[in-house]
Amino acid sequence: MEPLYIEPSEFTPRVFFDPENSVFEISGFSRPENTVGFYKPLIKWLVDYEENVLAKNTNFNKSNLILNLKLTYFNSATSKFLMDLLMVFMRFHSKGNTVEINWYYDEDDDEIFESGEEISEMINFPFNFIPITPNS
Amino acid sequence: MEKGEVLINHYGPLSYEEIGFLLNKMTSLLERYNFGITIRKKVYSAMVESLENIYKHQDIIRDSNNYQPKFSLTLENDKIDLSCSNSLLKAKVVPLKERLEKVNQLDKVGLKEFYKEVILRGNVTQKGGAGLGIINIAKVTENKLEFTFDDIDEQYTYFTLRIKVSLQNQNN
Repeated sequence: MEPLYIEPSEFTPRVFFDPENSVFEISGFSRPENTVGFYKPLIKWLVDYEENVLAKNTNFNKSNLILNLKLTYFNSATSKFLMDLLMVFMRFHSKGNTVEINWYYDEDDDEIFESGEEISEMINFPFNFIPITPNS
Repeated sequence: MEKGEVLINHYGPLSYEEIGFLLNKMTSLLERYNFGITIRKKVYSAMVESLENIYKHQDIIRDSNNYQPKFSLTLENDKIDLSCSNSLLKAKVVPLKERLEKVNQLDKVGLKEFYKEVILRGNVTQKGGAGLGIINIAKVTENKLEFTFDDIDEQYTYFTLRIKVSLQNQNN
């Protein structure tokens, strides 16, 4: 399956879903004019990935999936879609795959840190909180 | 700093690019005043949600130059005030007023619970609204929202939302 790469823009984040290494990353700023149009294809890609890659993994060892969320800002409409996307990862987890969710935040940015805590609480799944020091 | 200094004043149609322009202007102004990231992010979130609400939900009165979208950002001694107005069909007043009154009754924990309830239940509208904007403003600013609905005519009202970001007890 081909990776999904979306260049960042002024209003939308960078997306890189890498099926070969099972690493999925969304980074930057998210305030899309068309939130549905931006996030629906990401969810669709993950559903295809589930059908074409995860479901065909007949090994005893299931996949180890890593989701890196490195958002600097996201609006409330984005948070709804982040939740939908995380629910897809929760489904992957419920089917026996290991899921690791890394929530990166600027160490001075309480808003992003607290948003991560709230989302983690809402989906009842622990995140790894990773501070980014400025200029690092 | 002077009391009641108007940092941004906008009147007129609001495009998505214009929202970006106003946000960039706010960011550079607050940086110039040496406000820390916490205050800047609070103002940023409140401004995005309120301007996007206008962009998504306003009902434009085609044959009038009055009652266009209005936005202002004012710096006071102890707070930053945001005020935003737009024309709206009167049919939308009741549910909007109910939501505003509800968020004003809730404390921090209650707002978090309400946000959770809406995000898990809510559907995104065709215009991309998730019904979370006003809850998010109240959650982030931790202050009560002030609002008025002023009659324009039989069909339309002019909705104004006033948001306060406190500067006290913040590392700014």
